[in-house]
Amino acid sequence: MKRFIIYFRVLLTASLLYSCTDQLDEPLQNEPIGLEFDEGGQLAIALSAYQDLYNLGWEIHPTIAMRGDDVNKGGGTDQPQMGLHDEFVYDPGYWFYNNTWNGFYSDILTGFYVAIEEIEKVNDVVEDPTLGNQYIAEVKVMIGFELLHIVRLWGDILIPESSDSEEFAELPVTSREDALRYISDLMDEAIPQLPNMRPNQREDILGGVTQHTALAVKAMANLDLENYQEAANATSEIIESGLFTLYDDYYNLFKKPGELSDEILFELQYSDFGSPSTATGDFNHLFNFYGPLGVGWDPAVEGASAGWGFWEPTFKYIEFMLNREDNTRLETSVLFTPAGVEELNNRGFTDLPSFTNASGDFIYTRDGDGIGNHARALFHSGKHYLPTTQISTGVTRFNSGKNFILIRYSEVLLMHAEAIVSGGTSSSISAEAAVNLVRERADLDPVASVDLDAVLDEKYAELGMEWGIRFADVVRHGRTNELNENGKVYNPAEDRFIPYPTAQVDQLPQLNN
Amino acid sequence: MKKILRIKLKPLLLLAICVTPALSVAQTVVTGTVLSGDDGQPLPGVNILIKGSTTGTTTDIDGNYSISVQDDNSILVFSFVGYSSQEITVSSRNRIDLSLNPDISQLEEIVVIGYGTQQTRDLTSAISTIKTEEITTTPNSNPMQALQGKVAGVQITSNGSPGASPNVRVRGLGSITGNNDPLYVVDGMFVDNIDFLNSTDIANISVLKDASASAIYGVRGANGVVLIETNSGQYNQPTKIVYDGYYGVQVPQNVLQMSNSEQFANYVRQTGNDPEIELIENAIGRYGRSRVNPNLPVTNTDWYNEVMTDAAPIQNHSLTISGGNDRARYSVGGSYFNQEGLIDHMRNDYERLNFRGKIDAIANDWLTVGANITLSNATQFNADNAVWFQTYFAIPTLPVFDELNTDASPTAFGNAQQIGYRGRQNPFFVMENNDNRNRVGKILGNFYADFEILPEKLSFKTSYNYFYNNIQVRNVDLAYNDGEREFQNGLTRISETSYNQIWDNVLTYQNNFGDHNLTLTGGYSYRSEVFEENQSRAEDIRTLTRNEEDWYIPDNSEVNTSETFSDGDELFGISFFGRAAYNYKDKYLLYGTYRRDGTNRFAGFAKWGDFYTIGAGWVLTEENFFNVPGIDFFKLRAGYGEIGNEGINPAIGQTTFNQIGLAIGDELVTGVRPDNVFDLVTTWETTAETNVGVSARFLNQRLSLEADWFQRDTEDAVVNVFQPGAGEFVRRNAGSVRNSGLELALNWSDNVGDISYNIGANFATLDNEVLSVGNQVALDAGSAEFRQRSAEGSGIREFFGYEIIGVFQTQEDVTNSGYTTDFISTNNLEPGDFHFRDQNGDGIINADDRVFLGSFLPSYTFGFNFGITYRNLSLTAFLQGQGGNKILNRKRGEIIFTQDTNIDADLANNFWDGAGSTNEYPSASGYRKPYNNNQLSEFLLEDGDYFRIQNVRIAYLFDNKELMGMKLPKTTVSFTAERPLTLFDYNGFNPEVADGVDRQTYPIPAIYTFGLNIEL
Repeated sequence: MKRFIIYFRVLLTASLLYSCTDQLDEPLQNEPIGLEFDEGGQLAIALSAYQDLYNLGWEIHPTIAMRGDDVNKGGGTDQPQMGLHDEFVYDPGYWFYNNTWNGFYSDILTGFYVAIEEIEKVNDVVEDPTLGNQYIAEVKVMIGFELLHIVRLWGDILIPESSDSEEFAELPVTSREDALRYISDLMDEAIPQLPNMRPNQREDILGGVTQHTALAVKAMANLDLENYQEAANATSEIIESGLFTLYDDYYNLFKKPGELSDEILFELQYSDFGSPSTATGDFNHLFNFYGPLGVGWDPAVEGASAGWGFWEPTFKYIEFMLNREDNTRLETSVLFTPAGVEELNNRGFTDLPSFTNASGDFIYTRDGDGIGNHARALFHSGKHYLPTTQISTGVTRFNSGKNFILIRYSEVLLMHAEAIVSGGTSSSISAEAAVNLVRERADLDPVASVDLDAVLDEKYAELGMEWGIRFADVVRHGRTNELNENGKVYNPAEDRFIPYPTAQVDQLPQLNN
Repeated sequence: MKKILRIKLKPLLLLAICVTPALSVAQTVVTGTVLSGDDGQPLPGVNILIKGSTTGTTTDIDGNYSISVQDDNSILVFSFVGYSSQEITVSSRNRIDLSLNPDISQLEEIVVIGYGTQQTRDLTSAISTIKTEEITTTPNSNPMQALQGKVAGVQITSNGSPGASPNVRVRGLGSITGNNDPLYVVDGMFVDNIDFLNSTDIANISVLKDASASAIYGVRGANGVVLIETNSGQYNQPTKIVYDGYYGVQVPQNVLQMSNSEQFANYVRQTGNDPEIELIENAIGRYGRSRVNPNLPVTNTDWYNEVMTDAAPIQNHSLTISGGNDRARYSVGGSYFNQEGLIDHMRNDYERLNFRGKIDAIANDWLTVGANITLSNATQFNADNAVWFQTYFAIPTLPVFDELNTDASPTAFGNAQQIGYRGRQNPFFVMENNDNRNRVGKILGNFYADFEILPEKLSFKTSYNYFYNNIQVRNVDLAYNDGEREFQNGLTRISETSYNQIWDNVLTYQNNFGDHNLTLTGGYSYRSEVFEENQSRAEDIRTLTRNEEDWYIPDNSEVNTSETFSDGDELFGISFFGRAAYNYKDKYLLYGTYRRDGTNRFAGFAKWGDFYTIGAGWVLTEENFFNVPGIDFFKLRAGYGEIGNEGINPAIGQTTFNQIGLAIGDELVTGVRPDNVFDLVTTWETTAETNVGVSARFLNQRLSLEADWFQRDTEDAVVNVFQPGAGEFVRRNAGSVRNSGLELALNWSDNVGDISYNIGANFATLDNEVLSVGNQVALDAGSAEFRQRSAEGSGIREFFGYEIIGVFQTQEDVTNSGYTTDFISTNNLEPGDFHFRDQNGDGIINADDRVFLGSFLPSYTFGFNFGITYRNLSLTAFLQGQGGNKILNRKRGEIIFTQDTNIDADLANNFWDGAGSTNEYPSASGYRKPYNNNQLSEFLLEDGDYFRIQNVRIAYLFDNKELMGMKLPKTTVSFTAERPLTLFDYNGFNPEVADGVDRQTYPIPAIYTFGLNIEL
């Protein structure tokens, strides 16, 4: 018996040793490591780059765009650091700065360059790499666009050229001018690979990047370089393509009907796909930052959410527009509260356009959404407001499904005019012709001639409230007195660029404030 | 009643006696009665063995025995679990009566050490044991709670939420990013938690604290091991039916005082913030003006009082039937536990029903088999949804109900947005419209066969252990309207299932060669851990009403794709292990274990690891030269071991491609995201620990001492290495951590006449130090505003921010601060602002001036215990506390994000309001100023020291009592006060915050229970 037991045990142990050790080679579960090595796989990766581009935190908006004289920080004493940013008092520890830095650079490294590298790998095995190269060029335009905003915020920056983080940690600081030249060159590299069409003509990726997107980014970089001839050349190319036209209805350009219109060169796309269950942050943007508050909000569609009331158009901008009688664009850009109108009256603006007339406690937009008083802001952003009647049925999310315009043809026309009046020569239309195209759409009379003042005013009126264009314009031309409104004082020697975020300086010693 | 039962049981006992081994040659018959030395009661089931033979018998239910001996010089050995053995020479006697005394000497005690047992006196490592009596007195769903303050080196942090488990740490934190929970081994099965066991199910708990003790568990041993043996019957034990239960109430303790309307209004007016001052007027306008103080609204809501119940019941009832004959023993029982939560208006409770059964059977002279099953079925309603967080911030000027809020449905609660606040500030919306239920089913099974190959020397045990764990989560958000906005309904359902199994095969050889005693153990273990998870969420479900029966995701509903997914794990482990324990005359002790562990967890990088330990002990009191009066036992012991922690998430270590979705032209389009910022975790964390200790007994064993010093270094600790540019952290085996400390436990027990008493104390220190965070300056944790940092020389996740010199009292103080005038004017500094220490002296306060401000880990913990028994009355008391840790009062810190909320009364009463008023608190307006609050500073860090009366219990035993002529069963009635008093300075509900960051904690109540134990 004893012997039997011992044999039994030995046998048992031996058999299970043999059978089980191969389980130590079992792979980990749910770790997708495969990819289709064909053009379909390349498209799938390119789409992930678009998703990275579309996906951005709300704090990036004020970081980029709040410093201009078109907008002030609303919200009362809430988010006091945002107020300091608006007043050109920059704290390197402020989380906005770090998130913006991380947001852009992580897009570039872990979104854009990884996508380029993986598409290139597939290029090595597909027969015709043309399509792969086009996708790579599209991603390069995204890189160029985000780098441009990094330069506008920080001046001298780091320029990554791969997804390698260790390489990034060793990057030298590139001067602002070199960085802008790099962006311009990167666009030159991309342009030949890109389709010559409007984004809304793209079939594989509707609304995707085209040659003209790249040319516009190139024009922006060269404007900032004050290389006006290059800027004029790039805008001329876009104008001469004849592909783009201004959308008739300025007001609706910023609403659902204007999405991916013939005016659009670059647009972030969002949607709720018509259902509350998909009206999530995954495919949609958090626009609350811009919106009017719950108190002082009488939406046409009951139950529609309001916003946070941080984005307040300035008196300077409103008065400028009133003085110009630039009413179409004023109605589009600014939502008025009764208290705001009262304050305008106090300031001597008594003959106001009818869209500022109150009905009860509210001033209703032409789409029937009522804007009322709130301690946080006297005015709200009209360009970042989607009428509740245009939001999918049943969805209460503020601005649900609204796209966000990055570059439109009217900016191209006005950059063209700016380049010419600043010393560039046009190979296409004149500065006046460009400005008048924009004025015509805004229901304004044409002007006979334009100088830099006129062009900058036109840009202020046309592009106010849009992603920091105004701030870039006035600092580019040294007209920074314009920024001293509402008690704010801009110091040209110190205030153009924000400091590197502390969290980054801790990790990247080459950055030094 | 006892009598009746006894008669019924007799046949069973007779049967038991009949099957005792028959005696071959009957010579002298010795009979007698064995009594218990402590209460004089007959002792049934005492083993009586003729020394040097295998002949023996046991006492019957009345303590009587009868045995035939061949020789007058035969020696009878009387032994019984829990009692000191006695050897008595027959010397021609026919009757031998005796009393066995309870085993005061714990040195002979058998300690469970993992795949075997050892006598306390032979241990060379740091092991603490806790008996069932010490566990059952604590009213809690998780038996581990009972260990709080009782075991030096084991830190327990309570959790007041119904059914929630306390946080348990053995000897500090070794892992920076991984799991720091100890391994629980229940009758051989590895589990993460013992929340499915009722405290009456447990026979004993052994905590293996040092590496020398836990190394036998290899890659699972690094955070300490808690071994649990569930209750068994005893062989030859008459049937015992035991009811044990308690019923009591949980009473909120140390309720945080918030500002009332007056304090709140004063605070807002002090800030000088006009739009917000206007909101006070709005409140007056809407809710009415106070007649007492016309500057205030009539509303003055004490939100904690509204949200919290005054007393929540807790109860536990268990019934255990156990017994055995000489061939089999059994224990079968069930228990019911129910705990209500402290939140009054939301389902918030925990209910658990357990059944268990354990049988061991001596099948024949070489085979013993056994089976053991525990079924646990629990339902838990969680009150999360940030109720406590919202309650803290709710403004007192807002009423709970507001009739004017007519748009709100189903209930017209007050909504602060309607008087101009940014948030609605009323937790009742969330409480009324959320319901979170977890259903938890757990099955633990153990089956074994023990083969005796060479009697008393060599045995082989094969056991199969199974653990099934299923959690069904159902979180419902009901549709409602808060008067400002319509909220759609939503339903999340999560199903998580684990199927874990372990097959152990252990060969044990034990022999004595003269004075050399040797035990050898060798084994093989196979382990598989399979986990599957499904989660789905849908929103705006038409059929989802307030009726619980339709809380399902219907066909054709649109699910939220981002929250609908499945995941799983299939992890395998194969281990070979061995142990040698040797002693020479119980004087020189040697001990060693080895374990070779194989795993697939690291994706093929590290597949096999070797873990070992060596230990040695020297019992000085066994030496002839050692003869110090008063010292009965003195042992020096030391051990060194290497163990692993595989409690870190597996990592694939290569680029992955994950599906993503985006909107293109208002259509959902999917793509594939390459992710090359991946974790590369190639091996487990390895902990090497040295432990040196003393075990001693003094003054006739009345005084015992256990002292230990340890140093444990964790290498290959997984840390998050920042990837600049990517802005992400990836996990790498790049860190190193050291924990060291001293542990001391002293106990005294004695009898004086009818009074027996014991008194004890334990004390432990802990020094947690990061040795390396890899090739980076520091490893940051927490958010940027509330920075915690690990760096060489700091503790794990120490708080990191500005040191405060004081508060500027005058403008002159500001000017003389040493700050540059530019800095002063830019930040508009004025009296009432903090004077931060300018560490680098550059005249500017910025991130470069941040320093380490302390750790959330207590540097010392202590406990006292006291017990006294006079006849049938006993009183026990436990006290415990800790100190040296910091708590981040994150609630006060939220001011950086949202300003129009309530603040606690201590803050409201202490704001700086003029020169000389305070040097610790800022002015009310300063409190909101970015300069003062944009970085973590000492202002938000408070001392976490506390002292608590943990448990006081009075019990009376009714024994041999009669009531109206009926004999009462042995009955103990008791009254227990758990945590009746806690003393601390921290401005929060309680100072027990496991990670030191108090954003919201569930209050930890005092519990008063009435207990009853009836033994038939």
